[in-house]
Amino acid sequence: MKKIVVEGLKYRYPGAERLALDDVSFEVNAGELIGIIGKNGSGKSTLCYALTGLVPHFFRGAYGGRVLLDGLEVKTSTVAEISRKAGLVFDNPFTQISAAKETVFEEIAFGLENAGVPREEMAERIGWSMKLLGIERIREKNPFELSGGQMQRVAIAGMLVMKPDILILDEPTSQLDPQGTEEVFQVIRNLAKEGMTILVAEHKVEKLAEYADKLLLLHDGKCAAFDAPKRVFSMENAESYGVELPLAAQIAKELDLRDEAGLYPAAPDELLALLKGRLQGAAGTGERLTE
Amino acid sequence: MNGMGLYEERNTWVHRSDPVTKLFYGITVSAIPYILPYMGVAAFFLCLNILLLVLAKVFRKILPILFLSFFLMLSIVIVHGIFHPDNRTPLFSAAGIHFYREGLSLAALLIIRLLNMICGFGVVILTTKPDLLVNGLVQTGLSPRIGYVIHSVFRIIPQMAATVNKIKDAQRARGVETEGNLLTRAKALFPLLVPVIMSSLIATKERTMALELRGFGSKGKRTFLKEYEEGRYSRQARWFFLLLLFGSAVWRVLA
Amino acid sequence: MNRISVQQLAFSYNGKDMVFENFSAEFSGGPTAIIGQNGAGKTTLVKLIKGLLKPDKGRILINGIPAGSMTVRDLAKTVGLVFQNPNDQIFKPSVLEEVTFGPNIIGFSGEKAERSAKEALEMLGISHLKHENPYDLNLSQRKLVSIASILSMDPDILIFDEPTMGQDYEGREIIKRTIRHLRERGKLVLAILHDMDFVAENFDRAVVMHEGKIIADGHPREVFAREEIVAQAGLELPNAVKLGKRLGLKDIFLTKNELIRYLKERASGR
Repeated sequence: MKKIVVEGLKYRYPGAERLALDDVSFEVNAGELIGIIGKNGSGKSTLCYALTGLVPHFFRGAYGGRVLLDGLEVKTSTVAEISRKAGLVFDNPFTQISAAKETVFEEIAFGLENAGVPREEMAERIGWSMKLLGIERIREKNPFELSGGQMQRVAIAGMLVMKPDILILDEPTSQLDPQGTEEVFQVIRNLAKEGMTILVAEHKVEKLAEYADKLLLLHDGKCAAFDAPKRVFSMENAESYGVELPLAAQIAKELDLRDEAGLYPAAPDELLALLKGRLQGAAGTGERLTE
Repeated sequence: MNGMGLYEERNTWVHRSDPVTKLFYGITVSAIPYILPYMGVAAFFLCLNILLLVLAKVFRKILPILFLSFFLMLSIVIVHGIFHPDNRTPLFSAAGIHFYREGLSLAALLIIRLLNMICGFGVVILTTKPDLLVNGLVQTGLSPRIGYVIHSVFRIIPQMAATVNKIKDAQRARGVETEGNLLTRAKALFPLLVPVIMSSLIATKERTMALELRGFGSKGKRTFLKEYEEGRYSRQARWFFLLLLFGSAVWRVLA
Repeated sequence: MNRISVQQLAFSYNGKDMVFENFSAEFSGGPTAIIGQNGAGKTTLVKLIKGLLKPDKGRILINGIPAGSMTVRDLAKTVGLVFQNPNDQIFKPSVLEEVTFGPNIIGFSGEKAERSAKEALEMLGISHLKHENPYDLNLSQRKLVSIASILSMDPDILIFDEPTMGQDYEGREIIKRTIRHLRERGKLVLAILHDMDFVAENFDRAVVMHEGKIIADGHPREVFAREEIVAQAGLELPNAVKLGKRLGLKDIFLTKNELIRYLKERASGR
């Protein structure tokens, strides 16, 4: 069974004129890392909400189509039930801290308490979650006294502890400094390696391009592309969707460097390989391109 | 940042007492002087509260709050001392204005009651960790949502204060004067108030979303990481306080 | 020419932990980026320049005049500061009113204020939103509104705190264009940034701060070449620089255009 199935998803916020999501359909296999890209206002956040039930249960509004997580239909389940299948992390680390707990350890327990998990199980699950996120050392600290990157990792841990096997992140690094950003992307890579199904909405395409299995390109609420990164970046009119291509692809485009499939590379290593090929063909002098 | 800096970790028996029982105490000793409006009653409880504050080594922390209510107390003295309808016997005069005994003795009662209430709740708030109190209340049966709201008052108010400062900075940077005479401050009201309200609304919306996603809205049974253990004599103590309250109400009706 | 002179600044928030001890710096000329980890003192420095904080020792001269002697209004006429979070500032029910507020406060005539506001909206590409309620817009559009609301005050010096945070490609292009425009008009531009690509492409000078001190100061090309500084300050290299290294090139290629140009030349056999 497909991990996530989205069929003809349509949504309009209450009082809005246009659809935030307009007939979006795609499927995700277990263990895939999907990047959601598109300019601001294209529907990335709304899609993240729709995958976790905030749309339609929190935001109300006009809703059509279906979203299925491991067969569980979002429209007919509660947000609490859905939270056991899929966790969601937003861009603002600060508002994701519950403000009801004094230490990181207790903060992570919050979701378990709400779900009625027996106390004996809690410590083990929290420990596992903290280890995954590399935050054992700050377990006694006050969540509000952490750096942005640490707070964000605590937020992720708070979601993961409910053992969803899908994690959705909506621009998780947009308010973090470079160190915090790297911390979060490292976590995403680790979780992907553990087999978690992950969807990340991001502007920092450079970081996604190398690791994502597929990219979902949104434009005006519609799905403009859903394909491997290389294919998306090699589209004729890729730039007209308001996204910046990763540097390797931009360079390849300028130099008209394509691989055997006629695609631009998405990652530096592929670019290097293509460049070597091109440069060996030319009568180059001076420094060589070495690995 | 514990409960606005009010609570500090200390190891007195007051601190260690059952938080919910303490709350019962606080409500009881604050309410009785209103049910039985006698100077003696109010003074007795005020002394009791002060004694407890001293024993808990937190008396010094209540003083700033008492000073804050100084102006309120002053206005009570003035209003009742001069203008109370039952005023007949002048006690003293100042600058040609008469202060009367009846009004002043009423003012004294009001003030002692006010001080008593501040000290009574002071005993609760200064010696109790906010999350333990809320934890106790919720496990005793209070709705978790109300519990969260109570607890967030302790956490979010300091955050809001920090936000107000950021907003003040941003508007001052645009040329809005925030210090000065009343007119100046009045002009700064909207530029300060609107962003504060909008920021709070937006933060509340985002926080609520995050809480929902962690199952906060679920109707099922909850468990608790920190077990709330009632004090050994909690039951008896709470019944005692309830009895006191009931008893004073009876006394009031009969007397 | 516009100049900020920071002289032997000492400052601490709580009287004990000194953020700055004997800090001096001169800012003038082309756009300058202030970079470094959170906690290095960047925002504190900017607030001191803007008179929102008073130094314990030392002084700051804005075009020769001590910042401490200027009123809030006078300072606002000369130095504009765009804060990171537009929600900390926006309070008018329409974009146009919000952008005209600043000019009105500092004494522009009604007509001049309106004209200045419209120009600012034009520059930021949000003229079509002028009658919208700013809180109905998304966060990145609101950010552009807050930038416009400072731009319309036409100060000689502009300081931006993380202008590109949360912006998409279009938003960053608009801000890039705005900084270029300000430079052409002789304004002094300072910006606190985490976006190293943006720094590499748009700034003549990068001042790297770490724990209240300047540990590097120069053209981005020089600064990013110093690996120890980059590591110490917790910085990331611009993508073009990183890619250049991944490709095994020895020189520093600051921007993608430089890299493309070089590779094109190599590929065509020159």
